[in-house]
Amino acid sequence: MTDIPPGDADAFEELLQFLYLTPVGIVKFAADGTVELMNPVASQLLQPLVPANNLENLFDLLAPLVPDLRQLVAEFTADTGAIMDQRHLETSAGASRRVLSLTVHRVNEKVYMAVLEDVTKLAEQERNLYRDQQRLRAIFDNVRDYCIYTMTPGGVVEEWNESLHRVGGWTAADVLGHQYAMFFSGSNPDLPQPDALLAEARRTGSIETEGWRLKRDGSRFWGDSVITVLPDEDGAARGFIVVMRDMTERKRMEERLVQLATVDPLTGAFNRRHGLARLGQEMDRRARSGHPLAVLSLDIDWFKRVNDSYGHDKGDVVLCELVRICKAELRTMDMLARWGGEEFLILLPETDEKAAFLVAERIRQAVAAARISAADMDSIAITISIGVAVATDADIDTLLRRADGALYAAKAAGKNQVISAP
Amino acid sequence: MAISFTQPGLQASLEAADAATVDALPFGVIAMTPDGVVVSYNAAESALSGLTPARVVGRHFFSAVAPCTNNCIVAHRFENETTMDDAIDYVFTMRMQPTKVRLRLLKQTGQPHMFLIVQRR
Repeated sequence: MTDIPPGDADAFEELLQFLYLTPVGIVKFAADGTVELMNPVASQLLQPLVPANNLENLFDLLAPLVPDLRQLVAEFTADTGAIMDQRHLETSAGASRRVLSLTVHRVNEKVYMAVLEDVTKLAEQERNLYRDQQRLRAIFDNVRDYCIYTMTPGGVVEEWNESLHRVGGWTAADVLGHQYAMFFSGSNPDLPQPDALLAEARRTGSIETEGWRLKRDGSRFWGDSVITVLPDEDGAARGFIVVMRDMTERKRMEERLVQLATVDPLTGAFNRRHGLARLGQEMDRRARSGHPLAVLSLDIDWFKRVNDSYGHDKGDVVLCELVRICKAELRTMDMLARWGGEEFLILLPETDEKAAFLVAERIRQAVAAARISAADMDSIAITISIGVAVATDADIDTLLRRADGALYAAKAAGKNQVISAP
Repeated sequence: MAISFTQPGLQASLEAADAATVDALPFGVIAMTPDGVVVSYNAAESALSGLTPARVVGRHFFSAVAPCTNNCIVAHRFENETTMDDAIDYVFTMRMQPTKVRLRLLKQTGQPHMFLIVQRR
C-alpha cells in the first residue's frame, strides 16, 4: 500500500476495518492466479485448505476443489464478466465437512476478483430439502391403494403423480388445473360436497371423509379421503394435501353385513328386528313432527293349506311373490318387514287412517288378482287379510296390538278384507 | 532481560510487563480475556494491521477484529483448549495483503488473559 496523507489516515483505517470485517471472502488476483489482495474472511476460509499456509496463488490453492480454474480463466474471452457463478465446492478440511460458494469475475485483463462464501448451512438445508422431496416422491409414486395429491386453497389440483394413475387411471393432463370436484361422483347427494369439505378442513386443519369417487373411465369407487391444510410460513392455508384410499371392497362388505343383519334372506323384506328399530325411529319422528304414522298388519289367508297342498318350497314362492306385489304398491319411504311365518308388517310414515286404509285395500286387491306360478306348479290364487292402525301417543306394543286386533277382526269377519282398528 | 518471541514462560513475562515494555516489542502482542475480547493491542501489531488500538480494544478479536483467524486453526483452539502454548505458521491479510506470519498461541487456565503473538516471517 502507498503512504496515506496524514489527514486521510482515519478514513483509510476505517476503510481497512470495513474490508477486514466484510463477512464474505474477497480476493483480487492476476491472470496467472497470483493473489494481490485478500480480506480476512477469504484467508479464514482458504487457509484450512492449504497445510503449507501458502496463499500466494489462487489457482494452486483451489486446485483440489476446482482443478480447471486456471484453464477457465485462460479461456475466458470476454473483456469483463462472470467466469464462475456461485459454484459450490465441498471440502472436508478441518474437523467437518464445509461447503464454499465460489464466484469468479474478470474485471479486465489484469484484474480478477473471486468471492468466497461459507454456505455450509445453506447447502445442508438444501440437501435436507432435496432428501425430503425425494422421500415424498418415493411415497407418492409407490404407495399401493392410496393416491396423494395437492391442491390450491381454491381446490384446484396442482400436482399429479403415479398414485393418481394407479388408483384412478388419471393422467397429468386430465387433472392438473382442474377442480378436485372432478373426482366426485354425482351419486353423493347426502354426503358433504367438495366446497363444504374444504371449508371444514380449513376450519379444523384436517378432515376425513368418505364417498363415491370417479375413475377416469367413469366407473366409481368408494374413497376414504383425508384432506389436510398445508400451511405456509405464516400458518395460512397455502393449499391442501389429499390422501385417498380405495375402500370399495370394505364398503361392499359393510353393505353386505348390514343386509345380512337387517334383511329376511328368503323374501328380501326387512327382518323383524330391523322393522322394530325402524318403527321406533318413525314413532320418534311422529312425536317430533306431528305427522301421522300408520301400520298395516298383514297375514296370508289359509297359508297352511298352500303349504300342505303344494309343499313348503311352493309356499316360499308365494311369500316372495307377496313381497314383490306389496313393494310395487309402496313408496320408498314405506317399509315392509316379515314379522314371522306368513305375517308381515308395513310401515306407512306421514299417512293417516283414511290413506292407510286405501293403501291396504289396494294391496289386498292386487294380491287377490295375482296368479302365482312356478315351474311344475299350477298357478295359485291367494288372499290376504290386513289390520290397519294409526299411531297414537301410546307405545309401540299398544300400536302393534291394535293392528293385530284389527287383523284378527278381518280374519273373523271372513278373511280377504281390510279392517281399521278403533 | 528482553522478552523474545520464542522464550519459554512468555505468557508470565507478558502478564508481568508494563504497557510501555509490551509496546516496545518488535512483534505483535494481542491480549484477550478468556472470552476473546481484546484487552491490549501493542504498537507492532497496530503497525502490521493498520488498526489503532482504539478501534480494536473492547471488541471480540476472532469475529470483530481479525476474522481471518476465526477458523479451526486459531479461534477454535482458543475456545476448545484449556492450556496451550503452540507456534504455527499462518497467513494474515495485513492491509489486505497476504502476509506470512508465525503465531504463538498462549492460554493457561486460571490466567486472566490469553495471548496471540504475531511475528512476520
